[in-house]
Amino acid sequence: MDNLTEEPSIPEPKVAYPAMSGARASTPEALLKSGGAESCRTRDESPGGDPGRKQFLAGIAALVGLGALSMPSLVRAGMAAAAEDSADAPDASLLRDGPRFDEDEAENIIVRMQKELQTAMRKPIEQRKWVMVIDLRKCTGCGACTISCIAENHLPAGVVYRPVMEEELGTYPNVSIRSTPRPCMQCETAPCVPVCPVRATWIRPDGIVDMDYDQCIGCRYCMTACPYHARTFDFGYDYSEGTPARQPYEEVPNYEYNKRWQQRKGRSPVGNVRKCHFCSHKIDAGMLPSCVTTCIGYATYFGDANDPESLVSELISRSNKIRLKEEMGTRPRVFYLI
Amino acid sequence: MNETQAKPSNLSRRQFLKSSALVGGCAALATACQRAEDLASRAEAGTLPSGDFYDLARPENIIYTTCMNCNTGCGIKAKIVDGVMIKIDGNPYSPWTMTPHLRYRHSPADPVIAALDGAICPKGQAGIQTLYDPYRIRKVLKRIGKRGEGKWKSIPFEQAISEIVDGGKLFADVPGEESREVEGLDRICAVRDPALMSRLRADAARVTAGDMTVVAFKEAHRDHLHLLIDPEHPDLGPRNNQLVFNWGRMKAGRSQFVQRFISDSFGTINRIGHTTVCQGSLYFACRAMSEQYVNGEWTGGRKFYWQADLRNAEFVIFAGSNAFEGGYGPPLRTPKITTGLTERRLKFAVVDPRMGKLGGRAWKWVPAKPGSETALALAMIRWIIENERCDERYLSAANKAASDAIGEPNWSNATWLVKVGADGEPGDFLRVGDLPEEQRPSGETDRFLVLREGRLHAVNPDDTENPITGELLVDTTVDGIPVKSSMQLLYESSCEHDLEGWAEICGIRTRDIIDLAREFTSHGKKAAADVHRGVSQHTNGYLAVAAWMSLNMLVGNFGWKGGMIESSTFNATGTGAGQPYPVNNMHPGKLNPFGIPIIRDRVEYEKSTLFEGYPSKRPWYPIADSIYQEVIPSAGDAYPYSIKALILYMGAPNYALPAGNELNKILSDTKKIPLFISNDITIGATSAYADYIFPDGTYFERWEFHGSHGSVAQKVQPVRTPVVTPLVETCRVFGEEMSLSLESMMMGFAEKMQLSGFGPDGFGNGMPFTHPDHYYLKMVANIAADGSPVPDAGEREEAVFRSSRRHIAANTFDETRWREAVGEEWWKKVVYVLNRGGRFQDYPDTYRGEQLTNAYARLVNLYCEKTARFRNSMTGKRYDGIPRHYPVLDSLGQPLPESEEEYPLLLSTYRQSVQTKSRTNSAYWLLAVVPENAILMNRLTAESSRLKTGDEVIIKSASNPDGVWDLGELGMREVKGKIKVVEGMRPGVVTFSLGFGQWGNGARDMSVDGDTIRGDERRGRGINANAVMRVDPFLKNTALSDPIGASVVFYDTRVRLERAG
Repeated sequence: MDNLTEEPSIPEPKVAYPAMSGARASTPEALLKSGGAESCRTRDESPGGDPGRKQFLAGIAALVGLGALSMPSLVRAGMAAAAEDSADAPDASLLRDGPRFDEDEAENIIVRMQKELQTAMRKPIEQRKWVMVIDLRKCTGCGACTISCIAENHLPAGVVYRPVMEEELGTYPNVSIRSTPRPCMQCETAPCVPVCPVRATWIRPDGIVDMDYDQCIGCRYCMTACPYHARTFDFGYDYSEGTPARQPYEEVPNYEYNKRWQQRKGRSPVGNVRKCHFCSHKIDAGMLPSCVTTCIGYATYFGDANDPESLVSELISRSNKIRLKEEMGTRPRVFYLI
Repeated sequence: MNETQAKPSNLSRRQFLKSSALVGGCAALATACQRAEDLASRAEAGTLPSGDFYDLARPENIIYTTCMNCNTGCGIKAKIVDGVMIKIDGNPYSPWTMTPHLRYRHSPADPVIAALDGAICPKGQAGIQTLYDPYRIRKVLKRIGKRGEGKWKSIPFEQAISEIVDGGKLFADVPGEESREVEGLDRICAVRDPALMSRLRADAARVTAGDMTVVAFKEAHRDHLHLLIDPEHPDLGPRNNQLVFNWGRMKAGRSQFVQRFISDSFGTINRIGHTTVCQGSLYFACRAMSEQYVNGEWTGGRKFYWQADLRNAEFVIFAGSNAFEGGYGPPLRTPKITTGLTERRLKFAVVDPRMGKLGGRAWKWVPAKPGSETALALAMIRWIIENERCDERYLSAANKAASDAIGEPNWSNATWLVKVGADGEPGDFLRVGDLPEEQRPSGETDRFLVLREGRLHAVNPDDTENPITGELLVDTTVDGIPVKSSMQLLYESSCEHDLEGWAEICGIRTRDIIDLAREFTSHGKKAAADVHRGVSQHTNGYLAVAAWMSLNMLVGNFGWKGGMIESSTFNATGTGAGQPYPVNNMHPGKLNPFGIPIIRDRVEYEKSTLFEGYPSKRPWYPIADSIYQEVIPSAGDAYPYSIKALILYMGAPNYALPAGNELNKILSDTKKIPLFISNDITIGATSAYADYIFPDGTYFERWEFHGSHGSVAQKVQPVRTPVVTPLVETCRVFGEEMSLSLESMMMGFAEKMQLSGFGPDGFGNGMPFTHPDHYYLKMVANIAADGSPVPDAGEREEAVFRSSRRHIAANTFDETRWREAVGEEWWKKVVYVLNRGGRFQDYPDTYRGEQLTNAYARLVNLYCEKTARFRNSMTGKRYDGIPRHYPVLDSLGQPLPESEEEYPLLLSTYRQSVQTKSRTNSAYWLLAVVPENAILMNRLTAESSRLKTGDEVIIKSASNPDGVWDLGELGMREVKGKIKVVEGMRPGVVTFSLGFGQWGNGARDMSVDGDTIRGDERRGRGINANAVMRVDPFLKNTALSDPIGASVVFYDTRVRLERAG
């Protein structure tokens, strides 16, 4: 149990990715200040100086995004579909109320968390506080989350957002196994944010540590600043490299940060640093992150910690919760149950 | 042929540099790439709609279907954008991928439902890379080099069909085969007249029954003797049987389609699956335990097995059952276990020499020695009986009425009396007819007997009126006949050793046995022993399974909540009441083939005309079937007869079977297998030796009905349906365009040979069977109609159904064709089923009080009389009807000669959650997480062997002392791997995970149409040590096998490791 908060229990990812920078930056004192307002700005605090055209446009996009985020886009998607084909028109009341779930269905944690997420999406973004809870007693280390994340975000070879570490504990015959999924901790006091020289990473009002690929110059300071090794560099390696043909799934753009990004040499996000964002594009569409829904052990929970009724609020009130490297003052939004 | 060449997209240049026969040139793939690029361009130009940004939540972009990256068959939703499948998630309607699953009534057109995703494992997620695989084949390939040499040319579909049907000098271009004449299917299909087939069949049966001499048979059929394999042995059947169809993985739907073509139209008996490489002895032990006594014979045993109800169990022993990583399980079993742990409902133990992810989280990990599974179960049985911790009330019930009286869903023969021979061996049950007339408690001589209060009582097992109970432990004499109850026989078998003796055999502590047995009997019926391959794939696999299932009987947990489940499915074949299309009965001119199968399954050696004493030349398997390891070696030995042609579908037996390298010699030999046709999605490990390879659709491009597993309590039928246009060329059969596939290959043969059951009147009366859809859609209608029919899809659902398939070409989805295939009456119900990926019973309907709604509700056999009536064809000894411990034995019943000194380690295998056996090496995402496997070894073994993690070693065994894969023309490959030192292994046992060390499926270079296609080194990494698994010393070309249940043996080989140098 103590191991979890100590350095040795956070090994390098055991996955076969191209070498990452091994350098580790010492954590600046400033990062440990509670609140972190000085070092971790949010997007709506416009940075000083000449933002440049690119940044300006990105800001506009973010503002547009904020407006849109007040309603889950899956609801809008339904309405759009209705508008396209009136014969198909979904019943408007169905959209407002959602389907009627029987009691045992509503207790299903996926159904419950999705409803809670959609409830949270009706609030202004700054009133949501997303947290992830990972129950290590239930994680079997199967790797479904790792792969689902790769598929959802179209991650190229060498980029992983959610590795799962596996450790054998004890000696024969008294042995056990612990698997620890390691997404971005979405720190409240994120050490990666202030080191970015071009302000390409910041904290959203709902707590997600966001990225702007167009801004990122690929210097990788953030990678060395992150005590959790949660960021990886996109070298633009295709999984189909060296095979007869690039495949359609590699060509299709993804949805990260509510934009469409295609893996293409010389263009973002190739050459950028990449990281887990709790599938913010799915959250904005009223859906749970991919690692949560695909967890076959039901070990990963997600929700709004500002909602006292939410499942995650229940879970993080328990005494068996821990956070990784809490002593560094990073204040992760990822909790582990042990 | 569809020769359309779409303009290459500039982003996909690579594929067009290479052979268009293999990887490029396919219109459907080019279209998919083009769409992907268009989408990217639109994204860049900012012309994508912004309001509904996230496409993957929209009902019209989702098709619900069923996974097949392993055999679990999880429900999935394929998410498709502009024709490209880009994400897979679990289907929330399916009890596999959501616990508890959604009510069936919810509309998939509802955006809230569409946005709900279930959980699917890493292999399922990576199915995208099975569909979009640069090494897929698109056109029919024909060998232009020696078998296995890797030289191919693409040929038109029609040419392939003609050559195979007509035969001739098909390989005149290949050195050494210039004059080789190949017999085509047309000649092999000797008997085509159903009436003649029936007459030959009837008289051949009379010959085996001893009612007709061979001479008389020959006289009666003198005009047709040339149609038989061997007129001296009419029971071998017609020459049609010299076509063998063998598959690796096939589910309902395709299974019936193949039956229709291969058996009902072509008329061969040899339609053979792969069960024994998985867990045959598990299936066949449970089939024996579920046999029913009807009209004087044992019949109706089901090929199935029980699994634990993990959702409600309080204690489970997983024996050789790796529920977190394999074993039909991760998505459907894991959440029930993990939730059980945190809710403090469930406690579990793991019996396995490897701890693994499951054992690493168990209450107790019991690393018993491989091969001691029966011993452990019998030890627990002994303790439980002696400590009176059985459910005696359940076991005492001897018939249905007695079980009804105490509210049990089923009853057993634990109390029935068995006659014991002079040698002390049990034989048949004592029957009323065995008694002198004055002592008979019933007039019916065929009744069984139990003893109660000193008196005999007759038992009619299915009697619903008169409850009969009996005493459990009986050892007495009835009218001079020594008899024992079934339970007594089990107890005596368990007393072969005391607990200490059993513990020594298992290599564990006596305390472990007692702990397990006490805990197992401390939860009423909410305790279960869940077994899988680790128990069944031994030389005593059948009896080991029977021992573990007997443990379950002792607590009477079959059909109880938290106990053991028998799966339950909606019937797709249409033979049930109220179902519209009994597809395989709708077959004018259907043949009813006969003969002894090439693998000699479900036939008795002693009754055949081949009987010539013991041992038989190769083993016969009267109670098993689908004996994978026997197909190619039997052809190699031409026993019981030679074959003319082999069609292999979705199989890689030389990779997947223990001692699979022995097959390569036979596969390479054109005399043993004159014509070898494979149906595959790539050039697979065995397809590499074929003469022709027909491309197939992946599981995203075709139909099937996956069926269920013992751990699913609901009545279900998952449907597999095309979600994209197949990425293969198209062909024209019966005038219709269709994609290249297993179906179009068979239909092509049927059309060319003018076989029955296909064509414009294929179903009779002007009902056409000219497209595979005509068949599968009817089966969907059957599923919709089974029992109480599903509701009709509403207009909105129909619209979603249609729009979600808008990207699929008309050769695959054509609403008019689909509607016509099922008829308007059924169409809306078919849409309802397809919109949900199958049919699934609602969760609340699963349980009735403390029992399962779909409970096993028949006799369970503790003593299996039917099994005990057959003999081992090699030794002549009777099979055991009651579980019994045996050491590792070869086919002649002899221990193996190799010593522990020479070969000090035991070899085992396992599965990781990121690979199945032979196909998922194409999934680069999975390879990124685990790029290669290793040889796991305990630290203590490593220290004594002076090995450390990363050391390269070669594995050697007595039957493969050089430690090599002999791949014929593909060359030699060492059985070499890297050591990984762990704590979670039993010392003295080493293991490796299946799925690595491949040579097929894109791992090697190949030449197609003169272009060299470079193989991908990533696909071939790691080790497959099947090659060193013990070859049977008598058979010499086949691995050790279980003589009763026919499982091929994975876990009984002694090996030594040598540092690779």
